[in-house]
Amino acid sequence: MYRYTDFDRRFVRARAAQYRDQLERHQRGELSDDDFRPLRLQNGWYLQRHAPMLRVAVPYGELSSRQLRALARVAREHDLQDAGTPRERGGYGHFTTRQNLQFNWIPLARSADVMELLAEADLHGIQTSGNCIRNITSDALAGIAPDEVVDPRPYCEILRQWSTLHPEFAFLPRKFKIAVTGAREDRAAIAWHDIGLQLLKNDAGEVGFRVLVGGGMGRTPVIATEVAAFVPWQQILVFIEAIVRVYNRYGRRDNLYKARIKILVKAEGARFVDAVGAEFRAILEHDADGAAHLIPQAELDRVAAHFELPDGVRAEPSRGIAPAGDAPLAYRRWLERNVHAHRVSGHRAVTLSLKRPGQAPGDVTADQMDTAAALAERFSHGELRVTHDQNLLLPWVREADLLALWRAAKDAGFATPNIGLLTDMIACPGGDFCGLANARSIPIAAAITERFQDLDELYDIGDIDLHMSGCMNSCGHHHSGHIGILGVDKDGAEWYQVSLGGADGSTLSGAAVAGKVIGPSFSADEVPDVVEAVIDTYRSRRAANERFIDTVRRVGLEPFKTAANAVRRETAEAA
Amino acid sequence: MSHEPQFIDAHEPAWPSIDEWRAAGAPAGGRVSIANTLDPESLRADLPRLAAIGLHFPKWTDGRAYSQARLLRVRLRFAGEIRATGDVVVDMVPLLVRTGFDAVQLRDGQQPGHARRALGFFDGHYQGDVHEPRPWFARAA
Repeated sequence: MYRYTDFDRRFVRARAAQYRDQLERHQRGELSDDDFRPLRLQNGWYLQRHAPMLRVAVPYGELSSRQLRALARVAREHDLQDAGTPRERGGYGHFTTRQNLQFNWIPLARSADVMELLAEADLHGIQTSGNCIRNITSDALAGIAPDEVVDPRPYCEILRQWSTLHPEFAFLPRKFKIAVTGAREDRAAIAWHDIGLQLLKNDAGEVGFRVLVGGGMGRTPVIATEVAAFVPWQQILVFIEAIVRVYNRYGRRDNLYKARIKILVKAEGARFVDAVGAEFRAILEHDADGAAHLIPQAELDRVAAHFELPDGVRAEPSRGIAPAGDAPLAYRRWLERNVHAHRVSGHRAVTLSLKRPGQAPGDVTADQMDTAAALAERFSHGELRVTHDQNLLLPWVREADLLALWRAAKDAGFATPNIGLLTDMIACPGGDFCGLANARSIPIAAAITERFQDLDELYDIGDIDLHMSGCMNSCGHHHSGHIGILGVDKDGAEWYQVSLGGADGSTLSGAAVAGKVIGPSFSADEVPDVVEAVIDTYRSRRAANERFIDTVRRVGLEPFKTAANAVRRETAEAA
Repeated sequence: MSHEPQFIDAHEPAWPSIDEWRAAGAPAGGRVSIANTLDPESLRADLPRLAAIGLHFPKWTDGRAYSQARLLRVRLRFAGEIRATGDVVVDMVPLLVRTGFDAVQLRDGQQPGHARRALGFFDGHYQGDVHEPRPWFARAA
């Protein structure tokens, strides 16, 4: 994985010092709340329901065990308060769909100390919030997937550096998210991003990017438009500069809900594509030093050298992973769901499930972080990935170590064999924490998890994406769930809109599309019943070996709607 | 990163708009202000007769004028003064300098001393800017 240079290290320390200066001016009353807000946001500090929230960047999802231990230390020593229920006392983090980690209980007065602590581990919160280019996300299997065409990580790192404190693009109309994939299958949901990049090779074998622009969730879900079928890799920074400049100049700033680039792309259509093309050519043909950001081969090589195989990883003959005849059922299931194919023969990638009863999806305590770090050191050359669906993944596991890893992961509570199944749901922190949320996500997630604890049943239901957001900001990606649940506020009460048939763009889910709402909102108590009714409808209607999403597409929404309406109680009276 | 800008007193009056200057016969050495929605390209013919251009920040978080400044410097090769006006705060100054502003009229009550300190935190940046067009990777090599 990428190793910080001296320059990178000086840079994050300088950022921490700059932030301390801003915080101290704020504490002295020299920087008002309103003026401090955009500054702290661009360092990852939100103020929410109970305390500030810190979002730490995990660039393209790659994390070292040393970094995870540093995050554990932050959780243990700083993410604390002395009152409330155990969950409200802090000491844990939450992995997000954008591969970042959030803390919920760090007092703002300690925020500068925490930034310095993070900087010592080559970590920061730069541009994890605010109306700027956010942390770049990628495929959790980048560099190890058998279906990979081009390893996206060197390009992600080059993009990370280019976008970090870009002086022209720090105050865009709205937040701006970039996702990159280099595989045949899109596991990074690129069509749902402001810019989605797909690395590919042309007929001549040259590497370039297919560039999508204007995807996004929120109030108006939009699938991104292709603005270029092939941009040579050398030109990608210039091409993105052109896109972001057009957006900065012409994106709407009069209405928060119409400020994302998706609205500009939709409104302007072909004119937007033409404007980007004209700006791109103008940079290269007319600007002083316009070619300065073309990426030279030497720079790609320098960065790519960071992503070579870890020392000691070498291809070995695969003996397969079929378990011995007397292997426990739980191990077989884990092999089936949590263990993934690898491009290096004799190796596998293994998901550590963060979806289990008693903890919110994606949550990890300080001790669990340390345990995961130890597993990474013992089994995966000290490297982990944060997945888009809020789990951790060990990328470099030898097949011969799988049984030992399973035992250790099971002892640590990371071995729930549910990856891709109903309980492996995506959920935002929701109204328990977030100041924006209309409704809580965590109790709903917990109720569904409780309801579907029977593994036989879960396996019978099979592959399914359940995504849940506590509000229209869509942090839980409800639009792209096969089942989407959205918290809404009606007269101060929490209600939940249920949608079906959304897709993130993966092979299983099909082309990216937003799900369709199946009628008026449900009460919190009704939601688990609705999910069960929808699942039962699928099980009674499915053809042989047909997955949930395919049944929904084949039979349409009506039977599901009817089943869901049949379990209404409170909402039937309200209607 | 030095390139310290000139700090202009908050009470100095605003310059005439580009339209007012044109209506007055576009005298040489003009000092004008433009809205942040104006395409700098539309000033191309005027630039030889302009000594200074004021770019406006209606709110300090509205970043359009950064792109205007960058285009004026890098694409249109404007060498006169580019002044930041409006809701300008000290924490913007590093960004202003890097996109080509050389004069800053801070909002009333802001302290130039804080802006000078804000210019001192970083000894370099990853991407090029108006003063150092090369990105870090091209300089380090």
